[in-house]
Amino acid sequence: MMQQLTTLIIPLLILLIISHGLIKRIAVYEEFIEGAKEGFNIAVNIIPYLVAMLFAIAIFRASGALDLILNALSPLANTIGFPVEVVSMGVIRPLTGSGSVGVLADLINSHGEDSIIVKMAAVMFGSTETTLYVLAIYFGAIKIRRTEYALQAGLAADLAGFIAAISITYWYFS
Amino acid sequence: MLNKIWASLIILGISFAFVQDVHDEVYNTHNNGAHLQFNLIASDFSSQDITLLVNGYQLNATLKNNHKIQIHLDSRSPEYLQNIASANSQKNKLIADIISKNETSITLLLPEMHWQKIREVTQAAFDTAEFAVKLALGLIGIMALWLGLMQIIEKSGLINYLVKFVSPLLSWLFPNIPKDHPALASISMNMTANILGLGNAATPLGIKAMQELQKLNNNKDNASDEMCMFLALNTSSVQLLPPVTLIALMGSQVAELIVPIILATSCSTITAIIVAKIFAAQRRKKI
Repeated sequence: MMQQLTTLIIPLLILLIISHGLIKRIAVYEEFIEGAKEGFNIAVNIIPYLVAMLFAIAIFRASGALDLILNALSPLANTIGFPVEVVSMGVIRPLTGSGSVGVLADLINSHGEDSIIVKMAAVMFGSTETTLYVLAIYFGAIKIRRTEYALQAGLAADLAGFIAAISITYWYFS
Repeated sequence: MLNKIWASLIILGISFAFVQDVHDEVYNTHNNGAHLQFNLIASDFSSQDITLLVNGYQLNATLKNNHKIQIHLDSRSPEYLQNIASANSQKNKLIADIISKNETSITLLLPEMHWQKIREVTQAAFDTAEFAVKLALGLIGIMALWLGLMQIIEKSGLINYLVKFVSPLLSWLFPNIPKDHPALASISMNMTANILGLGNAATPLGIKAMQELQKLNNNKDNASDEMCMFLALNTSSVQLLPPVTLIALMGSQVAELIVPIILATSCSTITAIIVAKIFAAQRRKKI
């Protein structure tokens, strides 16, 4: 039911917007153009922010430093009882969207879709976001360089999502 | 914080690659200068073309003269040979020195390989810079579409209904936004799109909301409290339906994950709100 709703909502919304505009005697086509003009500028504004963010993350990933950190974390993760595989998801998730998709696909390959580890990683994937990417895009579009505490709050949310994903999945499926 | 995290990603990355390469040099992990013996299949030195057997892979090679051999590579060839080729700025071929040869085998000295990790890191940096531009430009179309529609919503006054409807809900989260401000409409539309898992619409609407918040911002270089709250809400990924990527990866298995995802996402969203509120209170104290 929900799936059908999501398919319908956007066309219905567009229909509502355009017809309401017509009823209110708005020059809908001209206004649309007026608003859409901005699209290019925003995308161009985002470029420097996105280059800065993605290039730093790419260097970090290509160097293999991430694997080293995960290896270092694994004894710690074992003592708390967190599966190491899921920890790698938690570390990669805020950094890169494609990277975390890769991790999840790897886990599905090696553990199977029914394993608790894959479920934990999938719940984590569904309940957190690529924080650094969202930050670069949203603040890039309005040329904000000083992000103040936005990153701290975003990462705190990721951490909470990470812990919640592991404990809730564990509790829900056992 | 962002400055430090950004810098440490780069510094850690490059230093770690450097340390690995020094380690490789000291212990000669790439076997530079080693004489490697390869078995030959159907060796017939009367023709120039021979076939080598490397780790179970058959590789075609051409004898250049008595001392040089050119090995032909493709994407299925053993990875270490491809790495050596790319380390010597070659793609599909590798030229090696012939040390000795007989009917059944040939001994080769492969080209040397140095600074492999540093090279990979540099390549990744350049590739990603290019990719970032593609990614940003790819947003133009969908941005233009939603900004066009938003313009109509504003002019037709539809936005006022929406603002009236959501402002009681959002006024606690965003106390500094005036009650009838269009920012509230963009924020609510972005959140609705997020909740329904409509990533395509969520990003442009989120950017639109940020633009409205920027209009209310006194200091255009610094993020306002409202912006930080809005960003935190977005990164905590408020959603009822699992994202499309997850459905693609997990298939029908996703159905049983919906409840845990909603529970976990509520935890992360509540945390985002609390942390943003605490930081905002601290910032007010400072001023």
